[in-house]
Amino acid sequence: MMMIDRRGLLALGAWAAATSKAFAQGAIPEHERVLYEAARREGEITWYSGQYSAEASEAAGRAFNERYPGVRCNVVRSTSQVAFQRLSQDLRAGVAQCDILSSTNGGHYVQLKRQNRLMQFRPKNADGLLPDLRVADPDNYYQTSFLGIYLLAHNTRLVSEADAPKSWKDLLDPKWKDKLAVGHPGFSGAIGLWAMEMRRLYGWDYFKQLERNKPQIGRSSIDPVTTMNAGERGVGVAVPSASTLFSMSRGNPLKLIYPEEGVLAALSPSAIIRNAPHPNAAKLFMEFQTGVGLSLAVRELFNESIRPDVPPPDGSRPLDQVKMLAPSIEDAEKGVPEVRDAWRETFGV
Amino acid sequence: MAEGAALTAASRPGFGARLRMLEPVTLLWVVLVAALLFLVVAPLLKMLLISFEEQETGAFTVMNYATAYGRQRYLDALRNSLLLGLLTATISVIIAVPMAWAVSRTDMPGKGFTWAMVLAAFVMPPYLGAIGWILLAGPNAGWINQVWRWATGAESPLVNVYTFSGMAFVIALHSFPLVFIFVKSALDLISSEMEDAANIMGAGTWTTMRKVTLPLVWPSILGGFILIFLETIALFGTPAIIGIPARINVVTTQLWQFFEDPVRVEVAAAYSIPLLLITVCLIGVQKLLLSRKGFVSQTGKGGERRQIKLGPWRWVLFAWCLGVALLAVLKPLLVLLQASFAKAWGRGFALDNLTLSNYRMLLFEHDMALQSVWNTIWFSAASASLALILALLIAYIVVRKLFRFAGGLAFLAMAPFVIPGIVLAIGFYAAYAGPPLMLYGSALLIILAFAARFLPIAYANAQASIRALHPEMEEAARILGSGRLQTIRRVTAPLLKTSLLGGWLIVFIVASRELSAAIFLVGPRTRTMSVLLYDLSEQGNFELVSAFGGILLVITMVFVGIGMKLVGRDFMLRRD
Repeated sequence: MMMIDRRGLLALGAWAAATSKAFAQGAIPEHERVLYEAARREGEITWYSGQYSAEASEAAGRAFNERYPGVRCNVVRSTSQVAFQRLSQDLRAGVAQCDILSSTNGGHYVQLKRQNRLMQFRPKNADGLLPDLRVADPDNYYQTSFLGIYLLAHNTRLVSEADAPKSWKDLLDPKWKDKLAVGHPGFSGAIGLWAMEMRRLYGWDYFKQLERNKPQIGRSSIDPVTTMNAGERGVGVAVPSASTLFSMSRGNPLKLIYPEEGVLAALSPSAIIRNAPHPNAAKLFMEFQTGVGLSLAVRELFNESIRPDVPPPDGSRPLDQVKMLAPSIEDAEKGVPEVRDAWRETFGV
Repeated sequence: MAEGAALTAASRPGFGARLRMLEPVTLLWVVLVAALLFLVVAPLLKMLLISFEEQETGAFTVMNYATAYGRQRYLDALRNSLLLGLLTATISVIIAVPMAWAVSRTDMPGKGFTWAMVLAAFVMPPYLGAIGWILLAGPNAGWINQVWRWATGAESPLVNVYTFSGMAFVIALHSFPLVFIFVKSALDLISSEMEDAANIMGAGTWTTMRKVTLPLVWPSILGGFILIFLETIALFGTPAIIGIPARINVVTTQLWQFFEDPVRVEVAAAYSIPLLLITVCLIGVQKLLLSRKGFVSQTGKGGERRQIKLGPWRWVLFAWCLGVALLAVLKPLLVLLQASFAKAWGRGFALDNLTLSNYRMLLFEHDMALQSVWNTIWFSAASASLALILALLIAYIVVRKLFRFAGGLAFLAMAPFVIPGIVLAIGFYAAYAGPPLMLYGSALLIILAFAARFLPIAYANAQASIRALHPEMEEAARILGSGRLQTIRRVTAPLLKTSLLGGWLIVFIVASRELSAAIFLVGPRTRTMSVLLYDLSEQGNFELVSAFGGILLVITMVFVGIGMKLVGRDFMLRRD
């Protein structure tokens, strides 16, 4: 991707809006049509989602409903660890309620695949994803549906740009005491991944020092965005770029900071649960997620597109100019529960 | 059943004779025992059993207890919960008793207003109040602290919601109505003759209140204290919303952690069993304190009730009620209202900050919002009806001592309150979610769980009402030839009508705001408003959460209004 000027951006925006409309009305390709026929008999699909914000998840659900009338998407949005907890409860009771799990913590899929809980399915639309995202699992038990960027942000009224932290390491400076806000790895999958990366870079000592600055701990990684809007804290730690940009578009005085060590990039999949009550609708939803439908819908709320034919959201830095820390989902399976436990010992909650 | 029994009786005289001996009330007793077994005993027993089971293999083990109490962090959570319960219940009693006395016995002005505010504080779900208080008393951005800094130039905040006492205070502000309602209804039944007697013997207003009036309602105060203690240690929403930022781990948030993958229901069960012992102790203490004393104040003989004239003191009491109303209702409501119409609540009251988009999102764009509204209403109504019918019948049997071991029924009816909602839900989950009943995710499971969870409130209500009702009125009916059930229907129930409707409304309201019992039982399409609110609150979008809370409050108030209309003004104010 190259630099795009302002006029180009406007044109792209107009193009995206037009495509969005065309997409909702456009013809359904053959491979989707077959699934759609079968899905209509099932009538609905239940989506446990922790990847996109509540607003973006609802927007995606609505876009699906408009594209495929007669198949309704039940959006069950929560943080990723909670979504997985709900799925675990379902599995233990032996009651199938969930068709598709979308979690930011990729480790969940490694575990579910090993426990033989997932359905094998390769959506045709996955061939059109960004090249790096096309094959999430060689055995096709899960497919990439989310590219989340987590970084720093500050409230420009409370913290000037000159004073703002430049790196993850800067947050340990005592001058940030009582000024930071962060999510919780027991709830947010992305915060779990971030804590894992910080541990890899600086050791667990990083969090022992961070604790001395008394960050305010919320649950979701999005929580600090509200905390900053309110003026309760000046700096948000590991906040998603999408929710921050969305908040800025509503007039809040926030600004993104790209940390020197790199932003956290969560490349996260979705999967169909093996005993899904609506298997055809679930397959159709996987086509929707890997197709332009999902990217177009969530882009409006400043989420990264996962396809080259849908432009990135307004206001975000093009990804090829951004240094990224991208933990592997294999590491996440063991690493996230470890840092979650260590976090509770260090922070007390 | 009854018809079958009658047929059998006709064909086999010997057996029939014995069946005829069986009073219908005995049959009722059997039905009640079965209901309690299903709602309370089976889930608890299942929990007790699995607390000694090894996960996966099911072999006997005590390791769950070792795990549950093997870390300092887990013990701290237990201690925090107990302290939180005590502090909250104490604050609630301090807030509520003067208000109840003022409204029931004195000529304080603004009684209608006070009653409305108490009701509003009760209707407002605790997690919504918690969010309101984050907006009010956040150390940096909270409105109170902003005004304080602006007025005094001080650096440090005046109040901080993210503290132990802050959390207890916020919980108390939405729990105190329980004490108020209990104490007020008890006070309403005391006739002025008893106070007059004290006056004649030379006691002034204050001495009479202290030595005669309050001791007579002591069971209600104690009952309210215990209920609030138990409700507080079972609360999940507020500890998640305030406790996590405040770094306070309590039993419920700890239990939540045991349910993380891998789901350690066994450890969670072991962790909650000792809480049951605490209830047993509390109920024992209550029994001990109340035994050997008579509290009967309503008899068949009537009695006059007059207001006590307070003079200028009535304004002091009114100021107290007004202060509580400001803190519990008006201020949180104001900031929540502002947030619900704001693009960003932190930007304050400005025209360019106004928007309807939060409401539009919920009413027209959200997949589940309206469905959850409907779920909440009918789950709450169904569970309130179920709980109240059970409670009334059990309380009658217990108070009138119709059977031996009736006390056991009372214990079972009270037991659910101490089980944190989450654990009760897991008990239900373990017992009924899977085969053979396969109720997981169904509306029925949630209704049953709510009914079980709020049986103690319904029971305490029914028991207090029946206890205050002297048996002589029923005895009169029995002497005139009425059967036991007919007496209940024709004499007891009409006398209790008002307090029963009050009880129904209380259960309806607490069920409509219930979070902890619902959160592990809901399915994708059976989510209630409280669960959806909790999901929305995770990402801290207070504008949207406030708008949804506003919708929840409007709906509940409508139902409360309908209830008041049906029973008339005597529901709100003392009968003249």
